Amino acid sequence: MTMATITDASAVAEPQRWLLPEARSLEAVNEIVCAPLLDRSRWSWRAWWIGFCVSLLATGGFLVAVFLVLYRGIGIWGVNTTVVWGVAIANYVWWIGIGNAGTLISSMLLLMRQRWRASTNRFAEAMTLFAATIAGIFPIIHLGRPMYFYWLTPYPNTMHVWPQWRSALIWDFWAILSYILFSILFWYVGLIPDLATMRDRARTKLARSIYGAFALGWCGSARQWHAYEILHLALACLGVPLVVSLHSVVGMDFAASLMPGWQETIFPPYFVVGAMYSGFAMVVCLAALVRWGFRMEGLITIAHFDVMAKVMLAASIVMGISYGTEWFNAWYGGERADRSLLAFEFTGSYAPMFWALLLCNVVIPQAFWFGDVRRSIVGVFIIAIIINIGMWLERILIIWNTLSHDYMPSMWRLFLPTIWDWITTFGSLGLFALMYLVFVRLIPVVSMHEVRKLVAEETSS
Amino acid sequence: MSTQRRFPHRVGHRGPSFDPALDRRSALKLFMAGVAATLASCGRPPEQIVPYVEMPEREVPGLPLEFASALPLAGYGRGVIITSIEGRPLKINGNPRHPASLGSTDVYGEAAVLSLYDPDRSKAPYSDNRIQSWSAFEAALRPRLDSHRQQQGKGLAILTGRLTSPTMIAQLGALSQSMPEMTWYRHEPIGDDAVREGASLAFGQPATAIPRFRDAKVLLTLDADPIGFGPEQIRHAREIAHARRSTSPGESLRIYSAEPDWSLTGALADHRVALQPVLIRNVAIEVARALGASLRQASLPDEVGPFVQACASDLAARRGAALVAAGLRQPAEVHALCHWINKQLQGPVDFIAPVDPVAVGHIESLRKLASEAGAGRVDTLIIIGANPVYDAPADLAFDRIVAKVPFTAHCGSYHDETAERCTWHLPLTHVLEGWSDIRASDGTASIMQPLIRPLYDSRDGHQVLAMLQLQEASSGTLDIIRNQWRHAAAEGQWDDWWRQTLQDGVVASSSSPKLSLPPARLPSIAPATAAENFTFVLSPDPSVFDGSLANNAWLQECPKPFTSQVWGNALHVADADARKLRLDDGDVVELKQGDVTFEAAILVRPGQAAGVLSATLGYGRENAGSIGTGIGFNAYRLRMAKAPWLGGNFSITKTARRENLLRTQHVFELEGEAEELQPRLTLEDLAKGNFHFDRPGDNPPTLYPAPHDDTYQWAMAIDASACIGCNACVIACQAENNVPVVGPEEIAEGRDMHWLRIDHYVVEERPGFSPTPCMHCEHAPCEPVCPVAASIHDSEGLNLQVYNRCVGTRFCESNCPYKVRRFNFFGYADGDEYGNLGADIAKAVFNPNVTVRSRGVMEKCTYCVQRISLARRAAEKDGRPIREGEVVTACEAACPTKAIDFGLISNPQSRVSALRADPRSYALLGNLGTRPRTTYLARLQNPKPDYGKTRA
Repeated sequence: MTMATITDASAVAEPQRWLLPEARSLEAVNEIVCAPLLDRSRWSWRAWWIGFCVSLLATGGFLVAVFLVLYRGIGIWGVNTTVVWGVAIANYVWWIGIGNAGTLISSMLLLMRQRWRASTNRFAEAMTLFAATIAGIFPIIHLGRPMYFYWLTPYPNTMHVWPQWRSALIWDFWAILSYILFSILFWYVGLIPDLATMRDRARTKLARSIYGAFALGWCGSARQWHAYEILHLALACLGVPLVVSLHSVVGMDFAASLMPGWQETIFPPYFVVGAMYSGFAMVVCLAALVRWGFRMEGLITIAHFDVMAKVMLAASIVMGISYGTEWFNAWYGGERADRSLLAFEFTGSYAPMFWALLLCNVVIPQAFWFGDVRRSIVGVFIIAIIINIGMWLERILIIWNTLSHDYMPSMWRLFLPTIWDWITTFGSLGLFALMYLVFVRLIPVVSMHEVRKLVAEETSS
Repeated sequence: MSTQRRFPHRVGHRGPSFDPALDRRSALKLFMAGVAATLASCGRPPEQIVPYVEMPEREVPGLPLEFASALPLAGYGRGVIITSIEGRPLKINGNPRHPASLGSTDVYGEAAVLSLYDPDRSKAPYSDNRIQSWSAFEAALRPRLDSHRQQQGKGLAILTGRLTSPTMIAQLGALSQSMPEMTWYRHEPIGDDAVREGASLAFGQPATAIPRFRDAKVLLTLDADPIGFGPEQIRHAREIAHARRSTSPGESLRIYSAEPDWSLTGALADHRVALQPVLIRNVAIEVARALGASLRQASLPDEVGPFVQACASDLAARRGAALVAAGLRQPAEVHALCHWINKQLQGPVDFIAPVDPVAVGHIESLRKLASEAGAGRVDTLIIIGANPVYDAPADLAFDRIVAKVPFTAHCGSYHDETAERCTWHLPLTHVLEGWSDIRASDGTASIMQPLIRPLYDSRDGHQVLAMLQLQEASSGTLDIIRNQWRHAAAEGQWDDWWRQTLQDGVVASSSSPKLSLPPARLPSIAPATAAENFTFVLSPDPSVFDGSLANNAWLQECPKPFTSQVWGNALHVADADARKLRLDDGDVVELKQGDVTFEAAILVRPGQAAGVLSATLGYGRENAGSIGTGIGFNAYRLRMAKAPWLGGNFSITKTARRENLLRTQHVFELEGEAEELQPRLTLEDLAKGNFHFDRPGDNPPTLYPAPHDDTYQWAMAIDASACIGCNACVIACQAENNVPVVGPEEIAEGRDMHWLRIDHYVVEERPGFSPTPCMHCEHAPCEPVCPVAASIHDSEGLNLQVYNRCVGTRFCESNCPYKVRRFNFFGYADGDEYGNLGADIAKAVFNPNVTVRSRGVMEKCTYCVQRISLARRAAEKDGRPIREGEVVTACEAACPTKAIDFGLISNPQSRVSALRADPRSYALLGNLGTRPRTTYLARLQNPKPDYGKTRA
């Protein structure tokens, strides 16, 4: 498949939608994206500094919490003998879910010839990278003895002890590892032509040499573009199954068990959709912020929000159907423990959270049926935040409900979060924000070369 | 009186306070003293002690040695065999030769080793706010003693607990011979005054009833708890379990129980009514009338009618095998009436002369001491092993009494409430540190051997009495004991006799001879009317008994039967009353009786008689030590000398305060789970076979290979029918397996560590208990989920946890349907506040054959794999297979009713194989396909088939 055919097909279908007039020239695109990074004095960085300080503070909290967990043990969290998993695992699943969307936008939309992805994929991929990194921290610090996390790897040792391959946690370990490696590679490959642009436009020697070093000698020759396109497409083809398998494996962490509410075959697909859902919600939030912060109204248009809102709407419907399927099967299966758990979800101690989760994930996103809501950036932004809260509630409740209300009533106990649970959670948001702020200040936040291609396509027709 | 729990603060144990300005010389002196103390610490006692029968002549390092001895509870002995490893006594086991142990233990016995290594124990004589020496005490006592001697002992008083030690009684006898005016008082807080009075009333002479429950077919308990906590628990529980073992309805013991609050016997009973304590006598009267007594008719609530009717007809039908027992809270007339009923029924009861030789009642004795001392007629008071300031009835105001005596010396293991108010405190040795002797409640005597040299500068009671006799105290207790028993055998055979007696742990044929008594008289007893206000009933605590064990962290963290409460007590209120007063668990209420007010947190107890408040003694200690101080409320404050167990006419009002009561099992409304997890069968159902269980076997089918059939295959069978919920197995497991204490804060977080828990469910208002260790599933859900293979299966069917491989993902516990795995969230075994901050001496209690687990590791029941390993080594050395019954797990050994059986299912002839084939056998959650190796036998009930159908 060549790019020419892609261009032809899309151009006929949807003429000139994804860029506003002020961004419809190659130089204009370069200028919009590069100016904030290369010509900083013209830009006010006040908001950035405020955000940086706040996220630095939150990151500090996160580091203190992680230090304390390592120093005192995971007993500082609210985990107990019955609910042995808690906020750390929920955070892991939540972050890894968010980490899915970047790859979905980059590779799946690329393969599906959704050209509008050009102006969003760079910051979505960065989000993926950072979210997956943070997600990778949680399974390690949640261990009772985190210093031995490497025992999950099949490293050569004198005792000839290998990991236990039947455990979903081992699958998980490999899934995260390969996904993080893939994300770095995919993100970097897509970045190379833009780094070269930065190198060429940089005014200081330092910037020129750093961007130049990372541009790996890119000069934009036809041969390089040819190699680039092949590699990028090949990676995209790898990315789609990887992203599906990653979250399926996360789902199997629960599904490959014996517990009511976990042992469900629907979990892998349902987790993948959930991941896409929360990931898109996060991309929408970041898109709104990037658009506002870098005045990229020309590149990231209302139409982008409109289409992403439609994706979220579809995901929310799938989520609703998944929940309904779970409930139906719990009832229809007739197993006492499953039915009892279902009753506990709706009426038990966590019921307010459960109802809130249904409201956030299923009910409120139905507003996206209305075009006016989809095309209101504030509206989409708020609903996206609500979806992210809802998805976090879903993850924590999958853990709390099942573990608090399993087969043995004599051991039914609740999870009471401690201050350190919250600091770890909000601190990880701070760490994410910090990494993201550093990213937007150093690296072109929108893929210039892909948008330039879009410009070419849109102006040629 | 406030009930505010103060456990987050460690209340410092009062001890020596050194002058801060320490000079170099004193520092060096202290340093050297410390070195000397360390060098002279743990070790075998200086005298020769004799190992138990099968033990080898010399100690092999690492191999446990076993010694027979006895442990006191409320003054009576329970025989034990103590396992000692490398000079440290580590595990208490029952002594099968001893009638009060029969090879089993109770919670208090199991926990005794922890008290031995308690860093809070009193370490040196103490007076004038500083550490003193024994010779200083002797110097202070000597002139007083001389003047007392000149006055024939006038003004000298000795207060002890219940004494059954022949030697100590003889020593006191000798003392009062030399000083006739001296007075010996004795007070045991868990006293039996009414029981003794009742016997005197019935027979005209003191006597102690020894019921033979094993021969009984029908038993009526009137506010009695024969299998409840106390020195006779093990024997009674064993006998009752034996009598109920038969599955034929005519043969199995049927129990009727009328009681105000829940007792272990009530939980076991086939028919139970909850009644106000005053109305219990009406039940006795009605039963007696049905058997022909000419007594005035007593009125009873309507619902009790069928109970009395069924019970009386059952008793009468089983003449010769029918028994009635009244509890120690009931007044003397009820006891006397029970003796009369038992005589009519020719019930299986023997009588012996009281083992406790003091005829005066416990409360009466204390009241006399109070009045003598109050009148200034006591100059010197020596208290040995008693704590009256804490546990005397409130109206005797013993703290003021003690203050009135010019010279008071308290000898005890702890610097307790009484020590605090006495002029002298003297440290008493732990029972495992000194020689003594003691009698069981049936009179059987045992010699108590020391297992270890005293850890501190302490002396035992014999030495204190010898000091009062002006004997050389250093002459050693062993000589005193040997002299006492010198007459027990002929001159030439005495050494053999002594050796044999020590080996056996029992003095041969020393049980009290049976008395032949005149027929019991029918007492004059009038019916009572129901109380209008609240009545208060007290009982010994299932965890800390009378409070003397309050500083034992194992006991504090031992979940009480029925309520699973730990680290505290609560005021139990009947559910009917709680609804009326809008009370909920944890609400603090104010009790009022006259001008006495009292605050306590309540726990709602369904099945308790309306109008009854109940509480256990032993809490609210002010000077128990760093573990036991300030926990719960002191119910002794409600105790009055005229009615030590029952208080009437309380009013109750709710306050705004709430307390977080710590429970390891919470209460939920269930929808059939309890019937599934803890099925119950009547003997009728069992005979007809109309029931269906998930059998341990091949369902559901599997693709996995079958377990090895060429090696040992271990399994456990638990008879839920025999489990009385006494917790002995829980503490035995804790002692054997180094299970750490986590403390109240961690319990509040939901992080208990007991490897073996006792699940308690109520089905149709009938409570039931099932001990729940690891199921050792053949298809264990914990194994495939562990990413590092720390949870693995061995070829013998054990589900093992490899602690040093565990990284702590906790997936295994997430995936365990039985939730029997325990995660070590903090380093509970070491450095934890309630593990005594890892004090060196507290570490001495660890069993060296079991790993002490570190932080971040999952742990669980191992089927006592170290014991399997010990047996395997022995068998392999002899070149033979491990024999049936050779491996006994700690829980199995402890169980008073032998509800737990462990053995080989690879041997089809084994007991466990037979129990798994029993029709009552079921696998817990067997439908999940886990194929547990631990299986249960369903709880049996033996109700009267026509109960309530016919009315008189």
